[in-house]
Parts: sequence; C-alpha cells; structure tokens
Amino acid sequence: MNEFSRRGFLGLAGAAGIAGLSACAGTGTSATSGNGGGSSNTIEFWSNHPGNSKPVEQEIIKAFEAANSGLKVKLVDAGKNYEEVAQKFNASLAGGQLPDVVVVSDVTWFNFALNKQLTPLDDLLSSAKVQTSDYVDALFNDYKLKDKHYALPFARSTPLFYYNKDLWKAAGLEDRGPKDWDEFLTWAPKLKAAAGSDKIVMELPDGSNYLDWVFQNMVWGYGGAYSKEWTPTFSDPGTVKAGTYLQNLAKQGFLKLSKDPAPDFTAGIVACSMMSTGSLGGVAKDAKFPVGTAFLPGEGNCPTGGAGVGIPASISDERKKNALKFMEFLTNAKNTVTFTQATGYMPVRKSAVDLPEEKAFLDKNPNAKTAIEQLPKTRSQDNARVLLPGGGARIGKGLDQVVAGQDVATVFKSLDAESQQVFDSQIKSKLGA
Amino acid sequence: MSTSTTVGSTGPVGGTDEERTGGTQAPGRRRRRQQAHNVEASSHHRGPAWTVAGYVGMALIVLVVAVPLFWILVTSFKERGDIYVRPAKWWPDPATGQNYSELTTRIPFFDYVRNSVIITSATSIAKIVLGVISAYALSLLRFPGRSVVFLVVIAALMVPNQITVISNYALVAQWGWRNTYQGIIIPLAGVAFGTFLMRNQFLNLPGEIIEAARLDGAGPLKLLWRVVMPMSWPTLVAFALITVVNEWNEYLWPFLMSDDESTAPLPVGLTFLQNNDGVTNWGPVMAGTILAMLPILVLFLLLQRQMIKGLTAGAVKS
Repeated sequence: MNEFSRRGFLGLAGAAGIAGLSACAGTGTSATSGNGGGSSNTIEFWSNHPGNSKPVEQEIIKAFEAANSGLKVKLVDAGKNYEEVAQKFNASLAGGQLPDVVVVSDVTWFNFALNKQLTPLDDLLSSAKVQTSDYVDALFNDYKLKDKHYALPFARSTPLFYYNKDLWKAAGLEDRGPKDWDEFLTWAPKLKAAAGSDKIVMELPDGSNYLDWVFQNMVWGYGGAYSKEWTPTFSDPGTVKAGTYLQNLAKQGFLKLSKDPAPDFTAGIVACSMMSTGSLGGVAKDAKFPVGTAFLPGEGNCPTGGAGVGIPASISDERKKNALKFMEFLTNAKNTVTFTQATGYMPVRKSAVDLPEEKAFLDKNPNAKTAIEQLPKTRSQDNARVLLPGGGARIGKGLDQVVAGQDVATVFKSLDAESQQVFDSQIKSKLGA
Repeated sequence: MSTSTTVGSTGPVGGTDEERTGGTQAPGRRRRRQQAHNVEASSHHRGPAWTVAGYVGMALIVLVVAVPLFWILVTSFKERGDIYVRPAKWWPDPATGQNYSELTTRIPFFDYVRNSVIITSATSIAKIVLGVISAYALSLLRFPGRSVVFLVVIAALMVPNQITVISNYALVAQWGWRNTYQGIIIPLAGVAFGTFLMRNQFLNLPGEIIEAARLDGAGPLKLLWRVVMPMSWPTLVAFALITVVNEWNEYLWPFLMSDDESTAPLPVGLTFLQNNDGVTNWGPVMAGTILAMLPILVLFLLLQRQMIKGLTAGAVKS
C-alpha cells in the first residue's frame, strides 16, 4: 500500500492541491459587495510613514481630530514601503475591511485606478469646494486618468543633483551644478583627476533601484522620452542618444551604479549623484564635508516622484466624504509645510511657500530651497515608466544592460517592443474609448 | 504500512538528525566539525602541512560566518557619523549606547517583543503538538484512508503560503480578526512540514520495540509518550528549533494582519526604523537586529545540549 508509483503520487497530490486551492479561492467575495465594513466616523489611514514620518502624521491627526469633533483617525502601519502598502491594500480588496485613506505611490496608484478600486476624486473635491488649483500642477496631474484624478499629492519628492563641494573645489570647478549633460562631460575628467583613482566621479542607483527614474532627466535633456502618451519611444534618436551618453560615462570610468549611492556619497568617495530630495536630511546629517545641491541639468527636465493619498472605491459615500475631508487637511498649506519640513519632501501646495514658517525654514536650509525652486520646473513622468505594469523594472533592466556595454539601439528597440506588448495585452482594453 | 518498514534503517537515524539540524541551523558549525574530524584523522597519516591547511580552512570559515555578525555588533555601538566612513572603522570609537536608547524610543520596541513572544510561543506549541500527534497517527496507528490523509497533508505542503495568503486574509477579515492575536496565530498553526518530518522519523524507529511495547499492553498514548517520543527526541528538538526560528522571523502574514504595535511582531516593527525614502540611520537598525537575535541564540544554545543527549539515547536503544 505504501509503494505508490511516483506518477500516481504526484497525480494524487496535484489533485488534492487543486481541490484545496479552489476551496480557499472562493472565500471572501461576499464581503466586497457591501461597503467594506468599518464605521463611518472613524477614518482608517493606511500609511507606510514615508520618510520616517509617523510622529508628524500623528501630530497632524491630532490637530484634525481637534478641529473636527466626532471624527477619529486611526493610523495603521501598512508596510515598510509603497509596494507593501499596495500589497496590503490588495489583500483587503479581496476580503473587506477596507481603509478610508490609503497611500499610493506614483507607480502603484494607476493599477488600482484602472481596475476601479480607487474613487475618482473630482466630484468629491468640487462638492467640498477644495481649491485644486493651489496644488502644484505637475504633482496634481500625476494622478490623472481620462480627465479624472484618483489621488491627492502627499509625500512628493523629486531627484536633486548632489555634489561634494570639497571635491568640486579641488577640481577647480565653479560652485554650481552643470548646465546640461554636455557640460558635465567636460567636467568629468577634471573631477577624475582631482579626486584620485580610489574615488568615483558619479554614482547612480542601479536599474533595480530607480536608475530609470533619474535617467528620465538625461532622456528629456537630449530631446527623447520613454513614451509619448501610450506610444513607447525608446527608439527615438534623442532617447538613444541619452542611452549612448550614459554608456559612455560608464566606459570612460566616470560612472558607477550601486544599490544605494547615499552611503558612498556621504562617505566622501563620490563627487556627485542624482538622488531623491528625501535623502537630503540624512545626507546633510551624515556627511563630514559641505554638501552642495543643484537643479538637475537642463531646463524643465526634472521628473516627479513619491506618493499620494487615495480613497477606495467600494466604501460608503459617507465614509468617502470624511476621508476626503481628512485628505484635504493632511495636504493643506499649513500641514504640507509641517510634514515636508520634518521629512525632506516637497510642499504640494503653491501657497505653502508664502507661509512665514516656510520662508524662515528655507532661509536656514539653502539646500531645501534648491529643491523647492526646482519644483515649478518638474515634469510628469512618462507613461511607459509609471503607468505600464512593471515599467520601472523593465526600463531599469534595460539600462543596466546598456551600462554593462550592450548595444544601445538593440536594447532600446526591444524595450519598445516589450512595452507595446504589455500595453496591448493589459491596458488597451481597459482604457476603452 | 508499518509492516513493510523494517528494521535496519535505524543506524543512520542519529546521523541524519544531526545533519538536518546542522544543515538548517548553522552550516558553518557542521562544516567546521567535519573539518575537525578530517584534521584529526589526517594528522596521523599526513604530517603537519595538512594540519596547518585544516586550521587555515577552519579560520576562513569562522571568518565568513563571524565577520558580518561582528560588523552588526560593532555598528550598533557606533555614532551615526562613524558608520559610513572610509577607511572602515573596525571598532566603535567613541562607543555609544545611544542607538539602543533610540531603538526603544523611536519605536515601541518592547511592545513588539511582547507580541513576538506571544505569537512565536503560541504558534510553535500548536505546530509541534499538531505535528507530533498527526505524524503519530499517520505512521503508527492503523485506520482506513490513512494514505489518502497523508497525501492531502503533503499536498498542503506543496502550496506556497504566498498563494493562500489572500484567501486566508479574506476569511480571517470576515471573522473580524484583523489586528488580533488569534487572527495571526491560528492561520499559521497548520503543519504539513512537521507531520511529514515526524512521520518519517517514527517510521524509522525499530519495529521490534514498538511491537514489544504493544505486546506489553501499552495503549496508543502510552506508546507515544513512553516509547516513541523518547527515541525521537533529537528530531523533535530539531523540528522545534526550526519552527521557533521560522515563527520568530515570520513576516508576511503578521504584516498583513496587524495594524499597529498592539499585535505586530518584531520583524514588522523593526522595518519602521528604516527610512523608506531617503537615508536610513543604520545604528538603531543594527541594535534592533542584535536584540532580536539574542533570544533565538540563547534558545539554540540550550536546546543544542538536549539534541546531543537525545542522540546518544537513541543510539543505545537500537
């Protein structure tokens, strides 16, 4: 009896497994048809506390509860990064008990919006009379799908050009960032000579850590793009030129990729890098040399990034109204200032910069000022990176190959084909007309 | 089924158990021990060159295992500005306990410890008890459909828990068990692995002893407690250790279920020390890692003795 044939065993085990699976897969569907549980005067806020912001979030929540008696906000630890929040939100979509407000990143919001799991906010915003024109345009429009907005900007960052002022001086360079990437190429040999062989001229995150995010700046700088609307444009001459530029930097020994350039930069062995504004506080605190910041090279070529807050689609209207009230409070001029000063993110309101406390802060922190002055020059990211499923990872992998020395035109051509295929199979039909 | 499992396979019981625990718990230790054996054997035949080579090998392996641990320990006592420097500092100078105090003030560290202890002990006990009694039933008791039950259990082992997570979540959320201990513990308490491991161990026990015990009138429970369990001690301890370590480090499910520090265990809590967009201050993270490691280390040292005791007991019996 215990001498099963191997095939018989596997067959039986497989059958049992499938039976088990299908038995579990059915559970929970009934809960989503309701209003997702939860009570209407407790607002559940799912956050990953971007930039270690939990204490600030609690402070803002306390102020909100004081201003709106009868409403409570429950802050939930929903993950260590945006992907984990998305995962937890996904799980709750399958089985009820939805949050009222959830943090969604520039990459994760779209899939939820496309599958009608986030509420379009426009009607709610207009009935609550929220001045949407006060939100920084590029940041607000990052969440637009078919003329509807699905989130409000919350913890928003942009890349910045960081440089080591000591090494800059040693190379005899002016105390500023490069005008464009062609100028940087004339600086790189001087930096290399001044810094010595054990130091690195420029270090960027690798393809699995958002190289595809900062590289958009180079692409736009050379007149290319990842995509125009939904058409991938990796084979565009400008895009290919930017790819070749990146490859040349690596070939000549000016560029190194790493998982996280911040440690090397703060250790003083890297002359410059492009990193998130979110790193500003930490880098300034850790570095033992004067840190310089500048706009990304070029004009109006800075991609936006970071996260917003959205409302699940299948909760009751009453809950949605309260959720929006909280979201508006969270991102109003005063609170966006409180939040961003504690974290290094960007204020998401235009009027925030005029508040006296923000003016005083910027006078004291010139590096933070660079980031804010760059804000009007930001540009919403290309769809091929942020909206196509797996876009960032796909482009990052391609860029890793380019830096490793593979032919740029070939790699980018296959990126075109892959992106187009993902769009055709996963997005096109849902977009409708 | 038990009739076809004959004696003779008992010889390697001790050996395989030792290897199994060694293999999953401390690969370095096992290799080192083997190397020590080789050195001992070869020094009689091959002269000092081999002895030296053996020691060099041992030293290398100790380094591979110990340096990262040492680095974590040293970093946990460093000041923030000393963590990222070149050349690297191999000794905290000046040493500071600030990371440890920051660890306990920035996150509710002791709440997480309490949750970890409760969740780990409850799931481990449930898993071990269920594993032992189900394996006992499936190996030494005779009842119709036994093989089918076993196959279903094994099939459960083949479904990775990432797949069942969503449907489990749906079910448990409907019961209103989100952010509760039972919501975290009960779905984790199922044990295909333990059943599988313990069943094979029980099947390898000498059939004569079991039969002798039955002839002497031992009932099923007495047989389990007085005969089967004492002979299976090493495997059981190994299984217990693996279970405890796994539960202590369990991340995905507790993360999905818990909302805050009232139920979240340490692995979830420690992630809030890391800055998810920007620069992480690694000092407190390392301090947290050290403190999270300690209980498991102590437990391992304690149980290790038991394991060896069990080995010799098993060897005498057969």
